[in-house]
Amino acid sequence: MHRPRRALRDHKCPALRTGIVVLTGAFAATVFPATATADATDDYPIPHRMIVTTCTAEQILAAARDFEPIYYERYIIDKHNKSPEVQQAAIDNAHYFYSLSPEDRRAYSEQMVTNFADPMTASWPNWAKIFFNNKGVAAKETDNCATYPPDDQSVWDG
Amino acid sequence: MRYGKLFALSSIMAAAVTLAAPVHADVDTDFANQLHGYGIYGQRDYNAWLAKITCKRLGNGLDTSAEKSAEFLSHNLPRGTDTAQTWQFLAAAIRTYCPDLTPMLTTVAEPNR
Repeated sequence: MHRPRRALRDHKCPALRTGIVVLTGAFAATVFPATATADATDDYPIPHRMIVTTCTAEQILAAARDFEPIYYERYIIDKHNKSPEVQQAAIDNAHYFYSLSPEDRRAYSEQMVTNFADPMTASWPNWAKIFFNNKGVAAKETDNCATYPPDDQSVWDG
Repeated sequence: MRYGKLFALSSIMAAAVTLAAPVHADVDTDFANQLHGYGIYGQRDYNAWLAKITCKRLGNGLDTSAEKSAEFLSHNLPRGTDTAQTWQFLAAAIRTYCPDLTPMLTTVAEPNR
């Protein structure tokens, strides 16, 4: 003799209902994530500290020279292996970036990840490595940059 | 007689092997060995490059004194390196990579004459 189905349903129902609610919720969360999570993180591709710093490119390079000397040397060696035009373009690009407001730097950062045809990136993919590529380096640079002269061009030549 | 000659020859060879001048594999290894004597470890190439950069900065005037060099090194040697070790690193760096700058070290030992 079978057990009445009704009794079975009554018994299982609350747990089942909870399960369905939880699963539906999880499914909805997967399908409709909040817009913000679809964005890159605050540190990618440009670390947050570089977005908000008030230092100039020269101050940041000076801090790198003193606090991340090997990273800095590598960058300068890499730079010196480029043509004078490409080197100057990198300097100009860095000046442009640090002249922007934090909002505009954020927008620049969004554009940077998507625009692979950017001529600067094409001619020297690592042109901004010392500024953007490493959060630890960015932290040391931004912690120490404020004490250096803002316009000392010699830092570009190591 | 024949054995005597052989013995003499082999002792000369043995002496040649044991008294051979220490092999200098390369400067960076020698430098690393000096650092080990001071209890400073870390990556050999990093330390060698750091020492060369220290020399460069002293040579081009970016660091105007040995004290400035020591300050520069204190930011870039591993956490936990004490002042004595920092100066030992500096002295070894100058001795190994830029001996011509040794006077900058000795002026520290004779302050304000």
